[in-house]
Amino acid sequence: MNRQVSDPGRTDRQGMPVRTENYTASRPPEWQGQLGGCGIASCISLNGDLICGDRIARMLTIMEERENGLGAGYACYGLFPQRREQYCLQFFFDDEDGKRNAEEFMSGRLDILHDEKVFTRERSTIAPPYPIVWRYFAEVPERRSWKGDLDLGEEDYLVELVQHINGNVEKAFCVSSGKDMAVFKGNGYSYEIADFYDLPRYSGTMWLSHSRFPTNSPAWWAGAHPLSLLDWGVCHNGEITSYGVNRKLVEMNGYRCTVLTDTEVVTYLWDLMVRRNRLPVEVAAFAMAPSTFHDIALMPPAERRLAEWLRITYREAFLNGPFSIIVGRSQPETTLIALADRKKLRPMIAGLSPDGSVAYCASEESAIRIVEPEARTWAPEAGNPFIAVTGKGVLRRGIEPSFQGVRM
Amino acid sequence: MSDPKITAKRSDHRLPERFVPRIDYDLCRVCKRCINECSYQALEFKGSKVVSAGGCVACGRCIAVCPANCIEIRPVPPQFAPHGNWSERSRRSILAQASSGGVLLSSCGADDPHPAIFDDLLLDAAQVTNPSIDPLREPVETVTYLGRRPGKLEVCDGKVIIREDDTPLIRMDMPLMFGHISLGSISYNAQKALFMAAKELNIVAGSGEGGLHPDFYQYADRICSEVASGRFGIKPEYLKGVAAVEIKIGQGAKPGHGGHLPGEKVTTMISETRMIPRGTDALSPYPHHDIYSIEDLAQLISVLKESTEYRLPVGVKIAAVHNVGAIASGLVRAGADFLTVDGFKGGTGAAPRVIRDHAGLPVEVAIAAVDRRLTQEGLRNRVTVCAGGGIRSSADMIKALALGADVVMVSTAAMIAMGCRVCQQCHRGLCSWGIATQRDDLTDRLDPEVAATRIVRLFQAWNEELKEVLGAMGIDAVESLVGNRDRLRYRGPNPKIAEVMNVKHIGEGWG
Repeated sequence: MNRQVSDPGRTDRQGMPVRTENYTASRPPEWQGQLGGCGIASCISLNGDLICGDRIARMLTIMEERENGLGAGYACYGLFPQRREQYCLQFFFDDEDGKRNAEEFMSGRLDILHDEKVFTRERSTIAPPYPIVWRYFAEVPERRSWKGDLDLGEEDYLVELVQHINGNVEKAFCVSSGKDMAVFKGNGYSYEIADFYDLPRYSGTMWLSHSRFPTNSPAWWAGAHPLSLLDWGVCHNGEITSYGVNRKLVEMNGYRCTVLTDTEVVTYLWDLMVRRNRLPVEVAAFAMAPSTFHDIALMPPAERRLAEWLRITYREAFLNGPFSIIVGRSQPETTLIALADRKKLRPMIAGLSPDGSVAYCASEESAIRIVEPEARTWAPEAGNPFIAVTGKGVLRRGIEPSFQGVRM
Repeated sequence: MSDPKITAKRSDHRLPERFVPRIDYDLCRVCKRCINECSYQALEFKGSKVVSAGGCVACGRCIAVCPANCIEIRPVPPQFAPHGNWSERSRRSILAQASSGGVLLSSCGADDPHPAIFDDLLLDAAQVTNPSIDPLREPVETVTYLGRRPGKLEVCDGKVIIREDDTPLIRMDMPLMFGHISLGSISYNAQKALFMAAKELNIVAGSGEGGLHPDFYQYADRICSEVASGRFGIKPEYLKGVAAVEIKIGQGAKPGHGGHLPGEKVTTMISETRMIPRGTDALSPYPHHDIYSIEDLAQLISVLKESTEYRLPVGVKIAAVHNVGAIASGLVRAGADFLTVDGFKGGTGAAPRVIRDHAGLPVEVAIAAVDRRLTQEGLRNRVTVCAGGGIRSSADMIKALALGADVVMVSTAAMIAMGCRVCQQCHRGLCSWGIATQRDDLTDRLDPEVAATRIVRLFQAWNEELKEVLGAMGIDAVESLVGNRDRLRYRGPNPKIAEVMNVKHIGEGWG
């Protein structure tokens, strides 16, 4: 296990001592989940132009008050135009053993076309140990033998493999596994993580980011946000009071919780409802942050019926308590979703560049203004999703009626 | 050897009284109202005074009607030589059986002081990292649906398809229902009060297995009709137009046992409602004699769905027994739209004491086991789980929800609201409050409108308390509490119970 006592003098921004245990790929033995506040920021290019990583790092870092150095991360989409159709599995390894374990497991189960070390700085202000960060570009083989032939689709097969690795393969953790995207995260301040990965070297069509103010430790690199599965990336600010209920739904549908945080469950919920159950994004968002029955009764008949059945059917997907989330995916198209809880107990603001080419979502307006001083900003409503797609523009500003445009 | 010449009278040992009414003669006006009201004839007029006549059961009726407020009922101090093993209760039982040679009957729930696991559970509340909610200022929802859920919505060509006809559901304003109490075990007025309250509260009331009196058809859309092993009173009106149908396999107070309404209680009204001859014993067999296995149950579920044209949820009620998780999973696979789990502290109008006090599983553990098993099998989001049996307060209800019940079934508390004092004499049919009796002079004592109002007030108060707790937890809809065992902690003497229920111990946080 890659556990090392770091600089004993390390403190957080308030001068409070920070616990010295630090974990990379392996889950800390006493880990029971995490709580706390956070800062989230994202940007998406609506016309397909690339956005440099420096831009998202500036957005996140300006909200330094929202973090305390115990976790930050970024996800970049549209990152590998040359390998757009291949899955990019990006790993943390505690050490060479972890790498060997993961490669041994993947051998024969995935067709690995290329692998490379992910650039990280050898010296950093972040407390060591650092994980080995490695990425594999892979295709799913025709013959997928996994616990016998389960006749899984390509994506379900990959979900099974990744969840198995994260639950069972020692010293290895797959932090992202989607097409045309990767996650860069770790245990440090937003600017430290950006520096550790040298974020300006990357450009993409969409970025998500997250910084943490956890009320608990220890620090675990793999437990930082964004949480990702397939091409889903989720940054989450909040504390889901219904976690026990939500977790049951994803576990009933075969997901295995390995990170033990509400954000992980939120990631699986999106995968379940939108990829597997094929619900439109705004419909899934309604299930997560539904209107009250009182307000549903005021809807037009068709919408009312859908709303009621969503609440009944996806009761366990209802995320109760305060949250604001930013969700990204690359398939079938690069999409940014932002959603706050139905009382909007955590902040979320959206913005658009004056030329309409870049859309933003963030916890604070400062995050948008620092990179786009003249942006038009607005506040999406409680429980009302913001949706933007590269090549299509902003599809929902988060102020429209619940099911506008949904076919019933 | 049991010599018939030795009559009960000759062989009986006189036992000390358990309760004695004491009258303050300085205040008593000798109005004799207490004597008239005491259906157990425990008071008599002697000389110029009202005196105790023996046989007081502490039903408290005399206290309630005394205009001078001059009666108190005192438990008689122990009259038996003290012994750590041979309790007074065990010696009384032996003496009673030595006299009668029969099975000891009792009523209400198990009265042994088994500690309630509910009392060992503590609720969570929100602080700092999430905000609590004031239910008086912001919506906190308690709407609950009962019935089968589809598991997922179909999407076809990007179009969301809802097949609501496949899955009939009942909407209720709170996660509470009245348990099944039959006409026969309770009086017409008592059952009417329950149905009126269910209508007013927009929840569901169980019919019990005694059929449905024609006067009560007006409440049918709030009634869950019970199909029990005696099949009493089952006719088209009993199945159509009601809210739901429930097959009763077992009852928490007497798992594995049937029912027996003695012939003297089968009055004209009862005989018409149950569709049996007047004065005959109404016997409910122990098992359903057409259900000897799970596939037989599946057939009966199909028959009931077919005969109600798939418009009603059909459920199954079982007593909480040791293998309750696996049985529950079988019920769902057999087609049950909802299932009801009745814990061993559940009430009864009459049950053998040995079963009532010794058989079954506490409802707390049963709920957790059912919820866990159905989750493991991927069935939990298809079915509604109702549970009850010894729910004494809103706190019990809230903990039952957090353990995994969608709907909490309450009966005894509703009867207490009507006037019941839990004296455990229901099986004698002499209920002085007019609840568990068929004697006209006694049933007249219960005004159904007053009783209904009292039940409505009780349940509204419990629902308000539920909202307060939800708000304190930072939860604004009750469905986010159901099965949310993360918000419970165990503080009791046996951590194994916490482990079995999948509840963390006090002191264990999240991180």
